[in-house]
Amino acid sequence: MSTVFAQGPRTTARREGGAPPPRRRGLVERIFGETPSAWLYIAPAVVIIVGLAIVPVFWSLLLSFQDKDPIAETTSWAGLDNYRELLDDDAFRGAVEHTLVYTGLFVPLSILGGLGLALLLNKRVRFIGIYRTLAFVPVIVSATVQGVLFSVIFDDQIGIANGLLDKLGLGPQPFFSDGRQALLLLVLAGLWAGTSCISFCAVIFLAALQDIPRELTEAASIDGARSWGTFKAVTAPALLPVTVFLLLWQTVQGIQLFDLVYGSTAGGPGDSTVVVVYFIYRSIRESAYGIGAAASYLVVGGLVVVALLAWGGRKLAARRAGAGAGAAA
Amino acid sequence: MRTRKRARIALVALLTALVALVVAGCGSSGDDDDGGGGSGDGPVEITFWHGQNQTAEKALKSLVARFNESHPDIVVKAETGALSDSLYQKTTAALAGGKYPDIVYQFGPNVASLARSPKALDLTEAVRDPSWRWDEFYPAAQEATMVDGKVRAVPALIDSMAVVYNRRLFREAGVAEPRAGWTWDDYRATARQLTDSGKGQFGTGWPGVGDEDTVWRLWPMVWQLGGDVTAEDNTKAGFSGEPGLRAFTTINEMAVTDRSVYIDKTAGSEKMIGIFNSNRMAMIPTGPWQLPETIEAGIDYGVVPLPSFSDRPTTISGPDTWMLFDNGEARARAVTEFAKWLTLPEQDAEWDVGAGSLPLRTTTAAQPVWRRHSAEVEGLDVFVAALEDARVRPTIVAYPRLSEATGTGIVEVLLGSADPQAALDKAVEGADEALAGD
Repeated sequence: MSTVFAQGPRTTARREGGAPPPRRRGLVERIFGETPSAWLYIAPAVVIIVGLAIVPVFWSLLLSFQDKDPIAETTSWAGLDNYRELLDDDAFRGAVEHTLVYTGLFVPLSILGGLGLALLLNKRVRFIGIYRTLAFVPVIVSATVQGVLFSVIFDDQIGIANGLLDKLGLGPQPFFSDGRQALLLLVLAGLWAGTSCISFCAVIFLAALQDIPRELTEAASIDGARSWGTFKAVTAPALLPVTVFLLLWQTVQGIQLFDLVYGSTAGGPGDSTVVVVYFIYRSIRESAYGIGAAASYLVVGGLVVVALLAWGGRKLAARRAGAGAGAAA
Repeated sequence: MRTRKRARIALVALLTALVALVVAGCGSSGDDDDGGGGSGDGPVEITFWHGQNQTAEKALKSLVARFNESHPDIVVKAETGALSDSLYQKTTAALAGGKYPDIVYQFGPNVASLARSPKALDLTEAVRDPSWRWDEFYPAAQEATMVDGKVRAVPALIDSMAVVYNRRLFREAGVAEPRAGWTWDDYRATARQLTDSGKGQFGTGWPGVGDEDTVWRLWPMVWQLGGDVTAEDNTKAGFSGEPGLRAFTTINEMAVTDRSVYIDKTAGSEKMIGIFNSNRMAMIPTGPWQLPETIEAGIDYGVVPLPSFSDRPTTISGPDTWMLFDNGEARARAVTEFAKWLTLPEQDAEWDVGAGSLPLRTTTAAQPVWRRHSAEVEGLDVFVAALEDARVRPTIVAYPRLSEATGTGIVEVLLGSADPQAALDKAVEGADEALAGD
């Protein structure tokens, strides 16, 4: 914006001939630029972002090096002790493991499921608008509600799921009272509904699918490609950028899993569904601020690694594509 | 161009610093804002986090209104704060943030931990004043407020554990109702008889989250068997060996072998109480605070003392407290006055009825409000009588961590994921660690 305004007077000055006049700029203008009021407009946002996002980031970094007791009001410098303690802590290592298992299952399943659903929703059939709307509904379900719902349905003693198994003549399952099954149920719940469920992936894929010009697929079929061939040669390459985005996004969502756990198992039975973010929440709740902050920074480290991998992967793919097709933008 | 850029950077830096200052300021202003710190004019305003809902909240609100009317120089602002289960966390956060209420409801096991705060008032001197009539509080209630020989809280609620049972389910199954003097073997057999998985009916229930609600039910068993929560002056777990093992084994046999126990995996044990209140659980070990809900649900119930392992019918009392915090001298004085008034017999009786508490003071039991209530509510007398055989948990800082380790062990035997001996060994080890770290 400011550059647009700035260009006006300067060109007129030039047109009038000679060097630009040594216009004296006032103090306000010198500090705030030529559009000082713009600062005023963005000030509230700056205050909010700096105060609620940037300051806490550094504050918690500081906290992670401290041993702080918020009740007794004592603070001592701990250096890397919190980090060391965490890496030695079986509970934290378990949390990391659960998070990796969850993410490892959740990301590919949600993306594949989303792709399948999107391909179905991309068909030209009657009432497709209704199907698309219905498919989007799970995205708006709150994850906490979802967690509570699943814990009711899959309660091993009073849940409907075991009642159904019983009707089918099958033996009852422990579900949420067994650590491993509980973690799998959380994956299922994550895929079923919530802001990063299968439906969410499907919506993103569907948007990309609809961007593929029909001429391309038609041309491919005229050239004799069958549906699998069309998918491989036309659809899949067009979906690649979206898939990379979804991989990154879903991985971040998987690592940040919290509300489902909070709403259903609360980390149980035992510690078998404690994931890293839940671990952080529990640490802070137990007033172990230093440990919680250190754990947060370890999670941030993990997320940075994921982001770098995705970025590196894209770079590599772009270079390869560039080398193959000559000049690419 | 360069200078302008630099000026902008300077400006952004300035803004950042300003915001940081504002935020830091918000974070640590303790007693310099609202509510009449102490400068004499106008009434002193104090904030009250009561943590209650439903009938208890209603009773409190009317009491607070009456206090505000009769004490024109003090204004009590009553807020829920958070429901009592999460008030400890909320209070900790508030203390860390520097803006905290003057009086807060706290579970007994948290008093020792919060008493470490330099802002927690020490009431040892204050309660010596005869107007407090401190000696009238039941010993169990007094004990829960004492940390290292000092009074750090005011009794807020007192209960005892007994078994509430569903008369209709006993009648339908043709099983004789339980009677005082029964044993845990009787309890186990009865629970098995009254379990009907086809109808979704359970003999009894046990919270399976592993929190304090899971744990406090264990202590009466341990005490009856001659063990204790801690031993050797709070330096070691007191439930290792025979007492712990027999208690763990009993729980394991009922839950895993007999499948007569509904294991509530949700925090707060609401589900378990819900099942009892819908005629699908025969017996539930619980406190008197559950009765209002059970009555409202129209359950035909009876109350019987806890079963025993020996001839010792020991039960547990889990007193809760009001904790007071220092927000300057005037507010501290006001809140101390309020806490005293709130627990005097006339007010206590009213609050006890609303909250489902037993009388905090011996003199409360003589109040007409309480007498009427006690005559009306079936089984309340059993809870009151059980107080005589009730013991309390130790008020030590390490208790919450000891409880966590013990809770993990109980959940393991409930779910059958470890055998009783292994689960007990791990629980004892965790408890020992918690006590050593103190």
